[in-house]
Amino acid sequence: MMPDMQQVGEGQPNQEWQKIPEAPAIMVDHVSKWYGQVIGLNDVSLAISGGVTGVLGMNGAGKSTLLKMIVGRIQPSQGQIRLFGTDPFKNPAPYHRLGYVSESEKLYDWMTGLDFVTTLARLHGNTRDEAKEKALHVLDFVGLTDVANKEIGKYSKGMRQRVKIAHALVNDPDLIVLDEPLQGCDPLARTTIMNVIRELGAMGKTIIVTSHILSEIERITEQIVILHNGRLLALGNLHAIRELLDHIPHRILLRTPNPRDLGRTVLHHPSVYGVRFPNPQELIIETNNLSDVHQGLPALIVESGVQVTAIENPDDNLESLLGYLIGGRS
Amino acid sequence: MQQPPQMTPGPPKRNLSETVWTKLDRKATAVAEFTMRQYRKKRSTWVLGSIGVILVSIVLLFYIDAMSEGPNLPEWISDNDGDGLIDEDPSEWDGSQLKSVGDVDNDGDCWAREPFDRDWNGDGIDCNVIYNYDSNGVLVSIDADPNVDEDPNEAVFLEETVHRSFLVGFAKFGFIFVLGLFLPMFLATGLIRNEQEAGTLHYLVGKPIARAEILMYRVLGFLGIAWPYFIGLILLCALVTGFFGPGDSIFRFSDLGIWFGIMLAVLLAVLVYSVIFVTFGLIGRKFGYIAVFFYATFEFFMLLLGTASSGSSVRMKALTSMSVSFWCTEIINSTAWLVWGDWNYWNGLTKLPAWSQGDFNPLELALWGIWGTPFPTANPLLNMALSIVVLLMITGVGILVGQSMFKKRELH
Repeated sequence: MMPDMQQVGEGQPNQEWQKIPEAPAIMVDHVSKWYGQVIGLNDVSLAISGGVTGVLGMNGAGKSTLLKMIVGRIQPSQGQIRLFGTDPFKNPAPYHRLGYVSESEKLYDWMTGLDFVTTLARLHGNTRDEAKEKALHVLDFVGLTDVANKEIGKYSKGMRQRVKIAHALVNDPDLIVLDEPLQGCDPLARTTIMNVIRELGAMGKTIIVTSHILSEIERITEQIVILHNGRLLALGNLHAIRELLDHIPHRILLRTPNPRDLGRTVLHHPSVYGVRFPNPQELIIETNNLSDVHQGLPALIVESGVQVTAIENPDDNLESLLGYLIGGRS
Repeated sequence: MQQPPQMTPGPPKRNLSETVWTKLDRKATAVAEFTMRQYRKKRSTWVLGSIGVILVSIVLLFYIDAMSEGPNLPEWISDNDGDGLIDEDPSEWDGSQLKSVGDVDNDGDCWAREPFDRDWNGDGIDCNVIYNYDSNGVLVSIDADPNVDEDPNEAVFLEETVHRSFLVGFAKFGFIFVLGLFLPMFLATGLIRNEQEAGTLHYLVGKPIARAEILMYRVLGFLGIAWPYFIGLILLCALVTGFFGPGDSIFRFSDLGIWFGIMLAVLLAVLVYSVIFVTFGLIGRKFGYIAVFFYATFEFFMLLLGTASSGSSVRMKALTSMSVSFWCTEIINSTAWLVWGDWNYWNGLTKLPAWSQGDFNPLELALWGIWGTPFPTANPLLNMALSIVVLLMITGVGILVGQSMFKKRELH
């Protein structure tokens, strides 16, 4: 019988609910959501309080559905969700402590960034002056001070994402929920947003961020939740999951003008069980101990005397991780 | 030596400027202001607003033209009694509820008759008029002695009648139906729905403010745009009709009351319709549109039926009272009754034998096709109060239904 989820890493010894003295920021208790015949989320349970948590999953895994239920946009078909101990669909009170960045790219393009954040800050009960002061502060925090008085319609994609984050931060929330905040951003914008998220995490906020790109989440947090086909597949420490991945068959792609010379050398490594040459400029190393090979690879390259222009890990992505986790359960 | 007990600090003093209500007020202002700004930025608002202004302006131009030229009376109607003299025996009745008025034969042609032939109505008074009222105090018939009040000044009466018919008719059809119904229909239906379809509603509902409040404050925001617009249009009409209307004075101040009543009716109509349409907007897109279309059609037919049956059966009135337009028009009817205290006078004038030439009675046709006696009660003040209460109740129910639907709405 398949378990519902795999607990990986420290601090999550079993699947039983543990009584938490204070209401956690988020409590998801056997929650399912279906749309007609389609199941969006299937019997998911988790509790999150403190730190940055990455929710990983492919498109359609149920990430956005989970987040929408957490922030009270939709209600569970079964089970219950509590946001700071309150049902978020029925009671907007916990929204005082919540900042939510939706995956939707839609904004009020006719407003300036400052207007947008100020208006929404006023919905927290702030006066005009308080709201403006807070808005200027958060816009500065996300690096939009220079364009605060520019219409949002003229913002770049990265700026739009940051102004969305700014509106979510304006009332200094305890919990920040970010749905695919890096989607569609250029590398510079990604780095900026990641820095913002890391900084917020360091300030002691509870942050949930979704993505379908493993490397993105990896740069933000170690604490992850993996969803697949609406089910909670794993939750825990990303490094621990990575260690598990290290011991499954893995490929390393090297770009070099002399792949065969390099191939001959790396075959001597005890953890390498095969090499392939997909084209005259590339070498694929097959191993079942990724860390070990990566540790010895620089010495092997020097020993072979060939020039290497790129090293990639094609299996180091979410698909591979999911493949492993699903395969491990079958 | 014993130490004195330590004073423990009490709870922090409550800042009276920070209560639940002040925060609620700030949120209400924020949502309403945001909604108003949103409408100001929308092209559809300006297009519809301009159409309304153009429509009203055109109608006012026709009115000015009609009033400048004066009524085009046929020859036979100026000399009612066919004696070659014009307007030599007008009615002196001032609309009071006197049963009988004596000595009203201005040209003396009644007194010129034989003594035995001067009292046709049989009240024992020669050359007078008897006015018959129903239980509600409405004049139902006039019995005049021969050659009494047989040649009134048609031009004055007809011009006044056209003016009054215009005010009441334009208020009912132009303001209540065309603008009062259609503007909210096109603009208020999407107050919540458009936000949801645009994917921006979560910015509002994701804040610590109940959805029920959001709906109410959005409606307030819409009213913040729509009400000043209607007030402006009504003021424009009041000015134009005041200056160009019939009468000896430069401005018809006596009409300001009726315009106030029209304004009250229109503002309430916009309030009720916007609540109804925003609620329809919360139904699914397709069914929402169907509901809006059927409702608008229903209101239109009820208004037509109500106007056409202004003097008809209670059953017909009860049927038309199912509509919002009925109660709005009742406010106008009641105000007209209150403001123009001589309604009975006009009613009586239309009943003078002198007016009728065969089946044709221009006053009755112009005025009584538009205006109706207040219903369900003939007391205009009571009727107006009742109409306002009914309209506010419909608004309350509409808001509650809309809020209930919105609270259960999932935002995918």
